[in-house]
Amino acid sequence: MLNGDAHLGLRAQGLSVSLGGRTVLHYVDLEAHPGEVLALLGPNGAGKSTLLKALAGLLPYEGRVEIAGADVASLSPRMRAKRVSYVPQRSLLRSALSVEEVVALGRYVHAGSFGGMSNGDREAIDRALETAHADVLRDRIFTQLSVGEQQRVLLARALASDAPILLLDEPTAALDVGEGMAVLRLIRTLAEQKHTLIVVLHDLADARSTTDRALLLKDGRVAEQGDTASVVSADPIRAVYGVRLVENARIGFEPDPDTEGRE
Amino acid sequence: MRLYPLLFALLLVAGVLAVLVGSGDLTDPELRDTFLKLRGYRLTAAFLAGAALAVGGVVVQGLFRNPLASPSVLGTTAGASFGGQVALLVYGVAGVGTSFIVPEMLVPIGCFIGAVAALAVLLLFLRVTQDLLALLLTGFVLSALFLSLSAFVTSIAQETWELGRAVVSFSLGSVSGTGPRQLAFAIPLIVVALIASWSWGRSLDLLLSGEEEAQSMGANVGAVRWWSAIWVSVLVAGAVSVGGNVGFVGLVVPHMLRPFAGTKHRRLIPAAALAGGIFLVTCDIIARVIPSRSEIPLGVVTGLIGAPLFLLLLIRLRREHTYA
Repeated sequence: MLNGDAHLGLRAQGLSVSLGGRTVLHYVDLEAHPGEVLALLGPNGAGKSTLLKALAGLLPYEGRVEIAGADVASLSPRMRAKRVSYVPQRSLLRSALSVEEVVALGRYVHAGSFGGMSNGDREAIDRALETAHADVLRDRIFTQLSVGEQQRVLLARALASDAPILLLDEPTAALDVGEGMAVLRLIRTLAEQKHTLIVVLHDLADARSTTDRALLLKDGRVAEQGDTASVVSADPIRAVYGVRLVENARIGFEPDPDTEGRE
Repeated sequence: MRLYPLLFALLLVAGVLAVLVGSGDLTDPELRDTFLKLRGYRLTAAFLAGAALAVGGVVVQGLFRNPLASPSVLGTTAGASFGGQVALLVYGVAGVGTSFIVPEMLVPIGCFIGAVAALAVLLLFLRVTQDLLALLLTGFVLSALFLSLSAFVTSIAQETWELGRAVVSFSLGSVSGTGPRQLAFAIPLIVVALIASWSWGRSLDLLLSGEEEAQSMGANVGAVRWWSAIWVSVLVAGAVSVGGNVGFVGLVVPHMLRPFAGTKHRRLIPAAALAGGIFLVTCDIIARVIPSRSEIPLGVVTGLIGAPLFLLLLIRLRREHTYA
């Protein structure tokens, strides 16, 4: 559970991003609230990941991003990372760090220049590993894990920072159906713990099953925004993707109560 | 943690040997004190230079996310050496007669400027490179450039016999002639830079995941990069000012240590300082016991150990495809 004062939402106004002289995002407005999962949807190249990175402060942008009314641009990298945590699709880490050491990196924002690891740090690491169902991986070497296991560890790293806002870039993209479902359920659990979650998703069915609201991007502009059920519906989907939405057409999956907890 | 008792035991053995081994006769009571004093300076100089270069290696490997980086491979040592020679030249031409400026003071400053220049070129041209070969080639070019500039300085210095000798002996690299004044200037530089490098350890840990992830976890990436480069330059300047151009220490020592000390910089840096000191003291003993008409320069010994190891690492990395 998050601390009481950490119940902060995120709001962006008139967010534009230019990369290499080309404007890839045009005046995006969005709001995300604690306890809620916001999906960023759209075809490849629509600007989903760019939007997420701009919100995480990893790209220069025009416009304004606020956390609880405070302008993110005025925060130091450390202050920003205390509030917003970003989970990349894959980590670029190639060094032989253990899972526990990787998750401990998330505590960086709480450490002084010369201090060691406090009890609070250790508790936060344990809690994060447990929440992300990664405690069994604790002593494994990160680079030797499967993609799905790495994804859980990266989530644990983000959780260890105790940031109330979590930004996830296609967390299920490279996972198999079981791993993917475990991550989606984790996302719901985090929303119940009053985190604010913004998640880039490729799979529209996943968006319908897991997220509360959705923002549909096309060519760097907001095409549709609102409840996920109304965004992922026939008209917007035809307009953006050029396909017809057919309810219940594909096979679906659900968690098996008999294998509960066997991650 | 068994690592530290082992390192301290090794340090003790190397220290005792460094005092006992050598061409001087310790049984002669008149000369004994002088020999012991000289070997004490020499031991201190080798230990300091080794510690500084090993930690410099750890930091540049983190900074460039490249296991083959080291101050000598990247041209930082050559830059520092060139800077030191220029300082000697400037002193020789302009400073003679100025009583309160001594070459021992100017040389570390020159070394520092040379080292910063070499690292700045790498940082500016390569950003955070993941291309192993681009980094190594740029380092090679920088080394070659500074070596040819050094040759130019040496040829100018030859015009006066004394200055020429000073520049040549400095560029050969040796701890045998290191005196107390050089140590007095180098010790504070190296100690401060070792502590500062350690204090950046957590930020360097974050940088292992790349610039973007490091930034998302709260690291001020620009500050980490430039401050690490500054402290590496101070370390290399300190090392070169007491030991000359000694290569491969920053490559060999971190690689020998990682299996025991892990990858996290806060743990690796103190261990590398100790092990680097032990390594260079040992190399200096080897340089003294190998039979030869005159003493073998220290850089030759480290090169003979370091160069084959560098090639082995390159082969292993290429096989594992862990680079790029």
